[in-house]
Amino acid sequence: MKTRYTFFAVVTLLALVLSACGGGAPATQVATEAPAADSGSSVLKIGWLGEPDTLNPAYAFLTEAYTVFDLIYSPLVTEDSSGNYVGALAKEWSASGDGMTWTFTLKDGLKWHNGEALTANQVAWAINAIMTDPDGWAALSGYVGGFSEVTAPDEKTVQIVTEYPIANMKYRLSFLYAVYPPDFESFTTPEDLQNFTNDKPIGTGRFKLTTFDKDTGVLILDANPEYVDGAPIISQVIYQKFDSSDAMIQALKVGDIDLLSDVPASAFETVKGFEGVTAVAFEGRSFDELIINDVSEDNDPAPTGNPALKDPAVRLALETAMNRQDIIDIVLQGLGTPGDTIVPPTLGGGFWHNPNIKTPEFSIEKASQILEDAGYVKGADGVREKDGVRLEFRLQFDVDSSNYPRIADLLADWYSQIGIKATPEGVNSDTLIAATTGVGDFDLVIWGWGADPDPDFILSIMLTDQFVIGGWSDAGYHNPEYDQLYLDQQAAVNKDERQEIIYKMQDMVYNDRPYIVLYYSNYLQAYRSDRFTNFIESPLGLDDDASLAQAKPVQ
Amino acid sequence: MARRDYLLGKFGIALLTLLFVLLLDFILFRVLPGDPIRAVIGRNVRISAEVQQSLREQFGLDKPVFPDQFVDTLGQWAQGNLGVSWSQRKPVSEILISKLWNTLLLIGLGQLLSIVLGAILGLLAGWKRKTPFDVGALTFSLIAWATPTFWLGIILLVAGSTWFGLPTGGIVSPENVGKPLHTVIPDLARHLILPTLTFTILYLGEYMLIMRSSILEVLSEDYILTARAKGMSHFQVLTKHGLKNAMLPMVTIIALNLGFTVSGAIYIETVFSYDGLGNLVQTALVKQDYPLLQGAFLLLAVSVIIANVLADFLYTYLDPRVKAN
Repeated sequence: MKTRYTFFAVVTLLALVLSACGGGAPATQVATEAPAADSGSSVLKIGWLGEPDTLNPAYAFLTEAYTVFDLIYSPLVTEDSSGNYVGALAKEWSASGDGMTWTFTLKDGLKWHNGEALTANQVAWAINAIMTDPDGWAALSGYVGGFSEVTAPDEKTVQIVTEYPIANMKYRLSFLYAVYPPDFESFTTPEDLQNFTNDKPIGTGRFKLTTFDKDTGVLILDANPEYVDGAPIISQVIYQKFDSSDAMIQALKVGDIDLLSDVPASAFETVKGFEGVTAVAFEGRSFDELIINDVSEDNDPAPTGNPALKDPAVRLALETAMNRQDIIDIVLQGLGTPGDTIVPPTLGGGFWHNPNIKTPEFSIEKASQILEDAGYVKGADGVREKDGVRLEFRLQFDVDSSNYPRIADLLADWYSQIGIKATPEGVNSDTLIAATTGVGDFDLVIWGWGADPDPDFILSIMLTDQFVIGGWSDAGYHNPEYDQLYLDQQAAVNKDERQEIIYKMQDMVYNDRPYIVLYYSNYLQAYRSDRFTNFIESPLGLDDDASLAQAKPVQ
Repeated sequence: MARRDYLLGKFGIALLTLLFVLLLDFILFRVLPGDPIRAVIGRNVRISAEVQQSLREQFGLDKPVFPDQFVDTLGQWAQGNLGVSWSQRKPVSEILISKLWNTLLLIGLGQLLSIVLGAILGLLAGWKRKTPFDVGALTFSLIAWATPTFWLGIILLVAGSTWFGLPTGGIVSPENVGKPLHTVIPDLARHLILPTLTFTILYLGEYMLIMRSSILEVLSEDYILTARAKGMSHFQVLTKHGLKNAMLPMVTIIALNLGFTVSGAIYIETVFSYDGLGNLVQTALVKQDYPLLQGAFLLLAVSVIIANVLADFLYTYLDPRVKAN
């Protein structure tokens, strides 16, 4: 029996080795011919580290899913690369004087991927579906808040009536995709709807999905020749998932993929040096911050933060003693911009970021002086204290980031020079969430956010009522005036008026310092410029819908 | 009779171990801090607190861990139901089985190569002790054994893709995804070369070292001297008397490894973006997908236990002492 086993093993081995060689020969040929063959080919292969959680817009939460939705589905309006909203399904639109009735006229010749014509009724149906089943459409129901009625008065017109004026209407509409009603009509319960995987979505977008393999994370999209604004130049887009960023970078180097949707900062210089590759850095929408415990004393559970952190002088000292440019140069290899407010400068093409906020200049002496003036005196071990409260803080950070440990070391070092003892400690993100949001069991935390194109979401993380378990506020900021301004900006239909309110909100958060924003990190991407060209470089990314529309192979 | 008792005893221990593992499996994933719902949806998405609460109810997370969740889970396990994955919304057993074949293909191939090559090279090294071949083999196996999996994988990936045009990731090329594997064997084989090679090198060293020391010990036995004295050739002595006895420690190590290699595949599968069990465990861990993790760990534990029972069973054939007692 044992002999037979070995024999079988040897035969299998031989078979595999042979098939590997057999398959290897033509394959190697393909690999060596690849540059020549691919120079005219228009299949764009994109490498990324994630994959959509589902292709069902009712229940998709990951960015990757929305990247795909933007390619296969169309909303009424969509954001362009400079932060303005332009028509996708809609040719033109108007709002009534009170800002509560919006009328959209659809473009001519709109067709679903299966060839059927799209009607205004179907667009209205898709939005109504979300309004009537907010539990089922969990991912999108937030965008229809305040909608009272959506109708299609005629073949080409969609009308939306709201309960109150909605300031960021176009931003909200850009997530309300026209889904193909027959695909979504049959579900009777929210669970049924959410369990639908929508693996063969029918949309109206520039690309049609042909394959989505959940196991390997491979997505294949074909160009839609009948797209209303004209077919894209490239014929196919393939998304391939990698589990290791080193492997993904190597794949770009040898040409297995043509575009990297997210290059780690530490690898950017290396990728830049690859032959035939262009690496681009542009200002993105994310920032990293130092969170200061701002949880109110009457919170339940009671916050465990060092009470000295409540002192504005201590907060100012914490900011004055940090050298943002050093952090960017040392940790981000220079690929970032010093931060100030929680609204990144890229939102709305720079319209929402308050440019009047000035951060204090880095100075160890000044920071020490601030603490000195506030009555904190150095003890025998060099740590300052006042009324028995020592300036000794936990400095926690999310271990998933390779940047945070280095930032923590830099901060701890600067702080030790001004008589503050900060002890860095890496923890996983779930532990951090459990300790911060709704709880307040921390002193200082280094963490980061990615903002939406519209400032609404990033402003909401500072709301008093978001400081609950499952909410977004981790700092525990509580300011009734801020909360009211948040509601005001939502209802401010006049763009300039809304800007003014949002400027004020940024001022408040900046001066109260629940967050000290460290930097706005750059968005790093790279592509094989020896094969493809003509992408749009914008915070939306090289693989944004509009960018892929005009990308073309190098002839 | 003695053999039956021996096997029954081993089997009983295996069952007890399994029960203990079940209990540990449940507790382990619940003492971890954090909120699985938040882990599933990440930090940078918009989802209201109400929706999160309804998710919790749907997954039974709103109930206390003891006794509600525990009783629920045990009841489901007793019915052979491993539950539904939170992150993939599919039955855990279905997901595990689909990934198991891919992993078995990879580790089966890797183990086979490393066992065969390791045994042969170890035997030769032991036989030709203190020759340059032995020194070379010993050095190689020590380095191979000490090399970190992740590092070796990356080095081979870079070398293989740069010089030989081998693929940088995946189990097949994107255009072949979703097709039955037996229809794309050449493509599959190309994708298997580097991960298998990594696996082989990592385990080769261990097997070689074990085999070498084992054969050295056997060769110093009196019965080998007797065999030589009878006039048997070197080759005959080695195959008829040496090999069978030297195989005993190998069988133990192989059995132990068979169980653990599934988890060892985590690194290799991650480096090569290989769609297998190891990769699944890693993803499930990141997403705090308890049912999937529990299922995967149960499978790993069961495979270690089965491999050990198999080894005990093999002993009754290989080791006359077990046979007699």
